[in-house]
Amino acid sequence: MILALESSCDESAVALFDPARGLVGEWVHSQIALHEKHGGVVPDLATREHLRHFGPLLTRARAEVGFSRVAGIAVTNGPGLAACLAIGVASAKSLALALRAPVLGVNHLRGHVWSPFIALHAESPAAFGQRLTAHLPHLGLIVSGGNTLLFVLDEARGVAVLSSTRDDAAGEALDKGAKLLGLGYPGGPAIEKLAADGRVDAFDFPRGIGRRDELDFSFSGLKTSLRYLIEKLPAAEVQRRLPDLCASYQQAVVDALTRKTRAALRLHEGRFRSLGLSGGVANNRTLRAALEAEAVRAGIPLLAAQPKHTGDNAGMIAFAAWADPTGVNRAANLALGIEPSAGLA
Amino acid sequence: MSSLFDQLRAGVTTASAAETQALAAAFAAALPPDTTLALHGDLGVGKTTFVQGLARGFGVTEPVTSPTFTIFTLHRGSRTLVHLDAYRLDRAAQLDSLMLEDFLTSPYCLAIEWPEKIAAWLPPTTLHLDLGIARDERHLLRLR
Repeated sequence: MILALESSCDESAVALFDPARGLVGEWVHSQIALHEKHGGVVPDLATREHLRHFGPLLTRARAEVGFSRVAGIAVTNGPGLAACLAIGVASAKSLALALRAPVLGVNHLRGHVWSPFIALHAESPAAFGQRLTAHLPHLGLIVSGGNTLLFVLDEARGVAVLSSTRDDAAGEALDKGAKLLGLGYPGGPAIEKLAADGRVDAFDFPRGIGRRDELDFSFSGLKTSLRYLIEKLPAAEVQRRLPDLCASYQQAVVDALTRKTRAALRLHEGRFRSLGLSGGVANNRTLRAALEAEAVRAGIPLLAAQPKHTGDNAGMIAFAAWADPTGVNRAANLALGIEPSAGLA
Repeated sequence: MSSLFDQLRAGVTTASAAETQALAAAFAAALPPDTTLALHGDLGVGKTTFVQGLARGFGVTEPVTSPTFTIFTLHRGSRTLVHLDAYRLDRAAQLDSLMLEDFLTSPYCLAIEWPEKIAAWLPPTTLHLDLGIARDERHLLRLR
């Protein structure tokens, strides 16, 4: 069994994964309510919260499932907020000493890579290897507050980044758009809610980098164009047309993500046997529907991470520690360091 | 190179992100080692675009993306470029929880967005650059 800890940002999370059964327990303490007041995650508050909550979460995990069969301690060691990561890594090392199990350093983004496959494993743990092979090579889209990228998971379970954002992440474009519009934090859900009553073609926002074979994302121009627009419109008009603004802005983000995904599918015509969607923004319904349509068009299944595995969670860290043959740092053990700005590959 | 500093003190306008980056790349080459650069300006005025130009000037080849989520990102080139977004910090004391000192290896350039949030922490030698939007969607850059 693998015990996993995740503390890269504002969620303290613990999970236990049994390869023969799947995730047997997940325990989370979210700090969203705390950071809401500040309009975003405040690093020193987040650090203190992790310190306060890891103990009780681990106590619950031990009481509800037990640690006697734990054979490895997986922990996110980057990317993320430095001091938050340091608390997770230090906790993992103490657990490793106490339980005489090795420390497994997991890149947070590898967790997102593997999160769409957790449900596939849970359906039938014994058949997972075979069923995974039938889904590879896999094209995955990770969309979160900190990252936006397309990657390939190949037949040997190797990961290669196909493209990424040149400036802002998609989730950040939504958060900052919400900020410009005077909406709350987290901004993505606030925009999605208002967008439901608006027209997607009310305003014309740019869709990022133009060429069809260019796979990189760019959202900074979109943010700037919203800023220009708000400065031109009278304040009352902005308030009155919030639903239209949100719907059009959100559609621009979704279109940019969908177009690049479609371009990647076309460039590698017939190569991919499944499409994946993960990361915090994967919960956006408009995006899910758009990606579903792309998968149907390509004639392959869409594997979307379950909502509880889209944000920061320890379940995906445990699963990646088990499933990923290359992305796990097994060598460092008690010398594992933190890598706040680590990339995916 | 002093002429570039003089031009920036007088104020320079750029018409595109590419122009802003070219200016920043030339500015990077003229900066002394271990510089802290405060980039003042609102959302969408081109702060990250400017840092992308700095990175090019330091020979960084990896993409430079917004550091908002993890507060700071590191890029290795001829200098260690540390790109810090102080937006979510409201006290200089919060810098402790970023463990920034562990990553500031000389020669470095520390580029800070929303520096007014941590004004008390900024070294006295900090260079302050104001970014804003002028008329016709042109961007104005001025060194204090």
